Amino acid sequence: MEEEPKEFLDDDYFGVRKLVTVKSLFEVGAHLGHKTGCRDPYMAPFLFGTRFDLDIIDLEQTKVMMQDALNFAAHIAYRGGVILFASRYRQTLDIVEQTAKDCGEYAHCRYWRGGSFTNSNVIYKGATRLPDLCIFVSVLNSVFETHTGVIDSAKLLIPTIGIVDTNCDPRIISYPIPANDDTPVAIKLYCELFKQAILAGKEKKKKDQLVN
Amino acid sequence: MAASLGRIRHLCIKHCVARSLSANLKDSHVFLCSRKGFYTCSQVWSGDVENKPVKAEKISKAMKSYMERAKAYNDFMQNEIEEYELGKRHLANIMGEDPDNFTQADVDKAIAYLLPSGLFDKKARPIFKHPYEIFPARRASQFGMDGRPHHYLFYTGKPQFFEILHNISAKHTELTEVEMTERGKVTEKKLNPARFQKLTKTALETLTNETISPQHYLNFCILMDRLITHPLARRAEEFIVKYSKKLDLGSQAVHRITPEKDENGREYIRADGKRKSSRATVTVYDQGQGDISVNGQDLTYFSSMQDRNQLLFPLQVVDKIGQVDISCQVKDGGLAGQAGAIRIALAKALCSFVSDEDIGKLRLAGLLTPDPRTKERKKTSQPKARKKVPWKRR
Repeated sequence: MEEEPKEFLDDDYFGVRKLVTVKSLFEVGAHLGHKTGCRDPYMAPFLFGTRFDLDIIDLEQTKVMMQDALNFAAHIAYRGGVILFASRYRQTLDIVEQTAKDCGEYAHCRYWRGGSFTNSNVIYKGATRLPDLCIFVSVLNSVFETHTGVIDSAKLLIPTIGIVDTNCDPRIISYPIPANDDTPVAIKLYCELFKQAILAGKEKKKKDQLVN
Repeated sequence: MAASLGRIRHLCIKHCVARSLSANLKDSHVFLCSRKGFYTCSQVWSGDVENKPVKAEKISKAMKSYMERAKAYNDFMQNEIEEYELGKRHLANIMGEDPDNFTQADVDKAIAYLLPSGLFDKKARPIFKHPYEIFPARRASQFGMDGRPHHYLFYTGKPQFFEILHNISAKHTELTEVEMTERGKVTEKKLNPARFQKLTKTALETLTNETISPQHYLNFCILMDRLITHPLARRAEEFIVKYSKKLDLGSQAVHRITPEKDENGREYIRADGKRKSSRATVTVYDQGQGDISVNGQDLTYFSSMQDRNQLLFPLQVVDKIGQVDISCQVKDGGLAGQAGAIRIALAKALCSFVSDEDIGKLRLAGLLTPDPRTKERKKTSQPKARKKVPWKRR
């Protein structure tokens, strides 16, 4: 039987789990959800409660799920996978694109053409390598429906990480992270965390190659 | 010779068709590769001392598909170039010229001579050019050997264009951050947005080599306007000029003519003007008494007060009534048209005697703008240009 690669033996091979703290999430308002009327019923398990008709997200759960997501992203980066950042929240478009640029990965924060994944040969004029991981900084599009990329990634078995707010459907996302996706400061924090995780994965890859 | 000429005609038609097609289609090769994944080269025995199989480099399916297409294109172009060179030699022989020194200009002349065309559209006439000019150029590979795209916005479908939008927005954010730190200490002047002419949609399309929809172009315009009107835009002028054209004041500047001296030593300026079918030449002498002569007569040449006022209007604006001598020669047209022609000629002449501020006054008064209006043509089934025959209900 083949020996399991050593990166799978350690729970935190890249040291990304310590990047997330409840305090830092609280300070940027990651716990603030939408009004109770907008709540998606499948988000109920992740809520701490409500206050003045506002849903509050349980940051203890968020922390654990964010750590898992960051670890996964780092693993994908370690193996040279193509990571696509997607978001249709125009206010934070620049932040997401810059994050992708800074960690050497890809971004698609513009109008998502139907068939970008399922009909990629026509859209990109030839056979193209599709992403190995899609990170949705906002899981909804500009008309408050689930982003087409989330559904298409699920169809093509591409793993997804998604910041799910209280009005989002977390079911078909591989690594959902219940958190506020509307505050720009919070988005900045999440992007920073993803960037550090991806860069950590790439750094480790370089180091391990040198050792070999 | 007839066979060779027939061959050349065939090549010309092919080039014509290829050129017209390439104008409509961009480089669109569709492949039905459905499965994503990697293609691994078969293991190679290196024939080494150790006799160990050398693991070949993995090429992604995307890259393999691209390489196949590139090879197909290169083979095709090679074939076309050979045909072109051979055809060129045939053509030289037909014309009785030296095949080795037959340039493209000679080719064009020969084709026009041998295959004369009465077609109006030049693009429809027989063409015989090098294949690189006829067939559309291939886009370089968008990704590396491992299939990873080169551009970070590849998956948007228009990486070059969206990168421009990103850069403009990033520049704006940068300037805003600087403005926050320097709050209250900013002394530099804002940029004049009228002086920056944004790139047109077609210019942007050629720059990015991508098609741009009108909505996307509107986004570009809005972003550029926001950047140009930023208080600190002057610091980003070098960047702004990449996607806009800076207009010189030269288009607004008036050319001052240097005064000439006549036989008495008096300085004068001569200027021309026209209105409808009238043509006027006005000679203005500075430091005069206000003598005005039109075709040898004084102001009474114009019996109407309105026409006389037209003549005096430029002088009123720059306050030179009674201070300059004017001599006009005017011909053709009616009296009102002649007065208008003299007016603009006089205004143009006065620009050289007067300060920049007064030139501005003349421009604001509309005295430096030629009046392009002409008599409207009479239309059929109507008695005049606008007058209609009485409308009857039944």
